[in-house]
Amino acid sequence: MPELKLNLVPEQSLVAPEAAAGTGKPLTVTALRKTYGAVTAVDEVSMEIAAGEFVTFLGSSGSGKTTTLMMIAGFCEPDSGSVVVGGRDVTRLAPQKRGLGFVFQQYLLFPHMTVWENVAFPLQLRGVSRAEQRRRVGETLEMAGLSALARRRPRELSGGQQQRVALCRALVYRPPVILMDEPLGALDKKLRDQLQTEIKRIQRELGLTVIYVTHDQEEALVLSDRIAVMRDGRIDQFDTPRELFERPRTPFVADFLGAANFLPGQVEQLTSTHTLVRLDTGGVLKARPRPGAEGARVRVAVQPGRLVLCAPDDGFCTGTVETVTYVGTLVRVTVRPAGRAATEPVRLELPVGRAPAVGESVGITADPENVSVFPDAEDGG
Amino acid sequence: MAVLAPASGSATPVARRKRLGRTLSDRRTRFGLVNAAPVVVYLLILFVYPIFSTLMLSLKGEDGGLTLHWYADAFRGANLEILLTTLRISAETSLLALVVGFALASAISRLTPLWAGLAMLVVIVPHFISALVRTYGWIILLGDNGVVNNVLTDLHFPGAPFQLLYNETGVVIGTTAVMLPYTVLLLYAVMKGIDRRLLAAAASMGAGRITIFRRVYVPLVAPGLVNAGVLSFILCLGYYLTPALMGGEKQTMVASLIDEQVMKQNQWNGASALGIILLLLTFAGLLLLRLLKSAGEALRNRGTAS
Repeated sequence: MPELKLNLVPEQSLVAPEAAAGTGKPLTVTALRKTYGAVTAVDEVSMEIAAGEFVTFLGSSGSGKTTTLMMIAGFCEPDSGSVVVGGRDVTRLAPQKRGLGFVFQQYLLFPHMTVWENVAFPLQLRGVSRAEQRRRVGETLEMAGLSALARRRPRELSGGQQQRVALCRALVYRPPVILMDEPLGALDKKLRDQLQTEIKRIQRELGLTVIYVTHDQEEALVLSDRIAVMRDGRIDQFDTPRELFERPRTPFVADFLGAANFLPGQVEQLTSTHTLVRLDTGGVLKARPRPGAEGARVRVAVQPGRLVLCAPDDGFCTGTVETVTYVGTLVRVTVRPAGRAATEPVRLELPVGRAPAVGESVGITADPENVSVFPDAEDGG
Repeated sequence: MAVLAPASGSATPVARRKRLGRTLSDRRTRFGLVNAAPVVVYLLILFVYPIFSTLMLSLKGEDGGLTLHWYADAFRGANLEILLTTLRISAETSLLALVVGFALASAISRLTPLWAGLAMLVVIVPHFISALVRTYGWIILLGDNGVVNNVLTDLHFPGAPFQLLYNETGVVIGTTAVMLPYTVLLLYAVMKGIDRRLLAAAASMGAGRITIFRRVYVPLVAPGLVNAGVLSFILCLGYYLTPALMGGEKQTMVASLIDEQVMKQNQWNGASALGIILLLLTFAGLLLLRLLKSAGEALRNRGTAS
């Protein structure tokens, strides 16, 4: 994408002047809070997002992710807290004064305008000259592969095409931050994958700051530089996908992102290099070091993909293979631990070549780096 | 309002007869014809025949031959003036009914369902009352010593009391009140169908309230505006009661003229000609509706040129 200058009429300036660089701006949210009657929708949410960063709010419905987004956009006024975009406090500004971009799940293209007019609309609001409009709308549609559809009406387009147009409409005026509220939620799987790749490519090429809301953890992992996992109006953990996956800070995060196995046990030994946990199934498991007391009741979390099979009695757990399911490149295996019948089966994800046979007796082991230990009291969500 | 059905394709008579025969042998068609028969007979007797005889009457000369004399008469002198007055008052009334109806409908469409229902009731219920009673109500309100003028005089409003009856102001006020439920209902239906999140979307990309109204809201309501405007214009053309009671000498409209010709002068031929002219004006209104719609479409398509 060649240089794109923001050609703003001064009194209509909607974006901080620095935005002329054509890249995203940083955004800071401080202690945002929103209550509806007795229900606290968003509770003291704070975060700092760097310029050009792709951040996802991930959570199930009612976790406060959309409310937080709406407060950043200005569609919903926070009870307290502040939103600062590129150094400018926008907390009390109307949405149209914030100059942000917004992509809605329902596309919300103007039905009385063509694709071209829809994308040109935000430029017209900014008093951009006709020639400049033509150049920028043309470039943006070109980038999204929509040039051939410029004269169509939204209702003549497929869902995926409509969402592409909506994306163009939010990109064309180079907002400092683009907010996306489950933009791919209404599309089928294949189209989602395709658009995810496109969104990520465009975001990287243009250095956009994007805040993306979704309840789909796979989507979050594919797109994000950092993910804020939200639950009950709070951020459980705000980290890179890798950190979230490998070092979940709460059982909820371990479960929501990695569908972890939770194994109850007791801390046997605490050292500076590792933690030894005696599991209720009998075996002893080595985990990362953690604060706490020896003898405390704990729950150990390991992702199915981080478990490895070994000879019986070599691992922390021995059992019988119960089911083996092929899912494309992976095999999902469940193992029923020997001895105690009441415990839940352990779930594993193995490469196809390493699949055991049903009924085989196996041992399970894991790299201590991939094992997280949580106090027993914390609820797993 | 599907008066202007598209003309059927030009087929040779033989082919057409064949197709007709095939269509008639279709069981569903025969069943439909049997079902439609009572309505067709009803319309023939009560609709087509009267209009046809009115048309004949309007073309009948004093000597019994065909003549355009009555039409020429309608477009001459005082009659022409009355025709123009009718058009002017209808235009003024439908414009006012549109403006007031737009404001009312957009306010109602933003209320919660319960309040919207109540507000709609307030708009529509007066329509259940006889137009005669309502018109007298307006006369009480707008008279020299009526409520409106008394209040304005008490407030020392400059220029009060105003002449609000037996002039064009009175006619337009009274007729607008009659037309209002139609425009409100038509516009409300369109406004309810507008996704209000579109307005939020426009705000998110920087549009202020006025811009959103002008560039998004009004264009989306436009088809309703055209429909409501043309409908109230057509209804006004032939409206009799309110203009007759609330207007003066100068506000005589075509309907009053017809009444006078029939009741006072026993002049059926002239009255028939006026009736046919009204009918043609109505058709012209519907044609205008069509043209406006296709013109709007063409304009928008032209605006797309990149």
